[in-house]
Amino acid sequence: MHALLALTVANIRSFRRDRAALFWTLAFPLIFVVLFGLIFQGGSQKLRFGWVDDDRSAASVALRASFAGVAGIVLTDASHDSALADMHTGKLSAVLEVPLGYGARVAAASSVGGSAQPATITVYTDPSQASTSGLVLQVVSGVLGAVNLGGRPPLVEPVVASVQTQDLNGISYLVPSILGMALMQLGVFAAIPLVADREKHILKRLSATPLRRWQLVGSNVLMRLLIAIVQTIIIVGVGSWVFGLEIAGSLVIVGGLVILGALAFISLGYVIASFAPSEDAANGMTSIVQFPLMFLSGTFFVIDQMPAPLQLVARFLPLTYLSDALRQVMVNGAAFSPLWVCVAVLVGWTAVCFGISARFFRWQ
Amino acid sequence: MVGPASVIRALDVHKTYGEIQAVNGVTFEVARGEVFGLLGPNGAGKTTTVEMLEGLRRPDSGRLEVLGIDVARDPDALKQRIGITLQTADLYPKLTVVEVLDLFRSFYRHTVPTDRLIEALGLGERRLAQTRQLSGGQRQRLGIALALVNDPEVLFLDEPTTGLDPAARRSLWDLITGLRAQGKTVLLTTHYLEEAEILCDRLAIMDHGRIIALGTVDALVDSRSTERTIRFDRIPGLVDGTLAALPGVSRVAHDDGITLLYTRDVPAAVGALLAAAAALGVEPDNLGIRRPSLEDVFLDLTGRALRD
Repeated sequence: MHALLALTVANIRSFRRDRAALFWTLAFPLIFVVLFGLIFQGGSQKLRFGWVDDDRSAASVALRASFAGVAGIVLTDASHDSALADMHTGKLSAVLEVPLGYGARVAAASSVGGSAQPATITVYTDPSQASTSGLVLQVVSGVLGAVNLGGRPPLVEPVVASVQTQDLNGISYLVPSILGMALMQLGVFAAIPLVADREKHILKRLSATPLRRWQLVGSNVLMRLLIAIVQTIIIVGVGSWVFGLEIAGSLVIVGGLVILGALAFISLGYVIASFAPSEDAANGMTSIVQFPLMFLSGTFFVIDQMPAPLQLVARFLPLTYLSDALRQVMVNGAAFSPLWVCVAVLVGWTAVCFGISARFFRWQ
Repeated sequence: MVGPASVIRALDVHKTYGEIQAVNGVTFEVARGEVFGLLGPNGAGKTTTVEMLEGLRRPDSGRLEVLGIDVARDPDALKQRIGITLQTADLYPKLTVVEVLDLFRSFYRHTVPTDRLIEALGLGERRLAQTRQLSGGQRQRLGIALALVNDPEVLFLDEPTTGLDPAARRSLWDLITGLRAQGKTVLLTTHYLEEAEILCDRLAIMDHGRIIALGTVDALVDSRSTERTIRFDRIPGLVDGTLAALPGVSRVAHDDGITLLYTRDVPAAVGALLAAAAALGVEPDNLGIRRPSLEDVFLDLTGRALRD
């Protein structure tokens, strides 16, 4: 046990003194979050509402004017379908829909001594984008409060409907994606120092000591898991403190997924190390593995919007399931596969990859 | 040299890599406290032999024993009690000398304090330097320090001075001589004849996976050749034809202004040389008689020079 810890500490020290490694594993994902966060923020300082008017009465036009008068709001008239489609892709922050008969119900509710139910308007928001949807509901209740003028019972009430968007530009979509990508790189890159250590006969030198192979592998895995946790803290921390990302799910489950995801890709790195004859080859193989994972696993493109053949490929990539699981737990994102399927795929992947590397890895 | 005192035994060991017979029936024993050398050109099978004794490679056949431990059966017990260096030793470039030594100490049950190792190997001034900043000689010293962390009874040093400058090489020789004085058994490989002559109590000359000669340096030299070399500064009036015709002289050679006469009858050849010089009215300068070196023995055994 002493040797395991000593070797882990030695690995961490070496890592800490390696500026290039520090940059790629810690600063690079950070730059990614900040960059995408700024792009997203720049486009979203205003709340963009889709306005669907099915009533077309004097009352509905008056209500539209009330919303249009609020500073910082952009109203776009649209049909129900096109408004929801735009919201789905992130062009709209929310959709307000005035149902047919709204004018008549407002008139009924406002008649003296009227006991009719208040009129309603429907507010479509995405609760997974917690800060946006909170702001939307605040604006709606403010406007309706003015319309109602403290009337009792109120003339108009909002009915909130949840829409799950896959807002590609949203920080809430990006943070789990970037986290998944960082974990993937951290794991896959485990191949390179291992192959380098073999080439430089370090593994051979260690084999001549009483150090056990599980201690060597264990220290390697421990160090990477530690880095994975630091990366998670940085990425999620910047996402939430700077860009207002709100973690919907349990941090414990997020932590569990981070460790499972890191293990899945470390094991993939070991498979690469098992078949790479040299450090250069390991570098090449890492790139070959890394890029499809990065671009076909829904990191930058929503899987549902990819061409069908590529969607099929995505179903076989472990990063698809890690990012999907992270998105589900962190931001209540739309599920591509059920969470248990994601976990099962990652566990199975890890087991198979460790099995393959245990069988084929050469120590010298 | 044979018996309970021997701490390393190799018995008819074979190892092939594909088509190549790297080690082809090697047998030898090393006594406790001996410095034993495996001498031979690159590719002779020295490193493979040593790595099999260290438990790093499995022999195809044959028996290997170190400190009474069957290497094939209990390599873990063996590793606690031996120290090794590899030819290349670029360990943890970003860790300091102290950190690497402490790391290696964590692998063993019984260890020597780090400060004592640093002191013994003259690394005191570089104790906080990262290993990538060390010179070649310092790196080699660190390699030996790492081999000594568990106070091993047996040391395997694979080409410990290859690539070092003469000063660093000499200081490493002193170090290895010091280890023998502490009673440690040392098995080293080398392709430097001078190193083998200076350090080794006994040595085995290897070529093409076989041991072609084994014994003390003196015994090897005596057994293979009784030819001596007479050397003196070149005398202008003495031509090779005259020299070759002198009684007892079998061959004449020149080396950078020095004339070499090879002979099996030193008194006759020297007498004739002095007479021939006197006839010209001169005396040979820097006259000397040299017995054959390991270089000559190797040449004699294999028909080629060691460094070819």
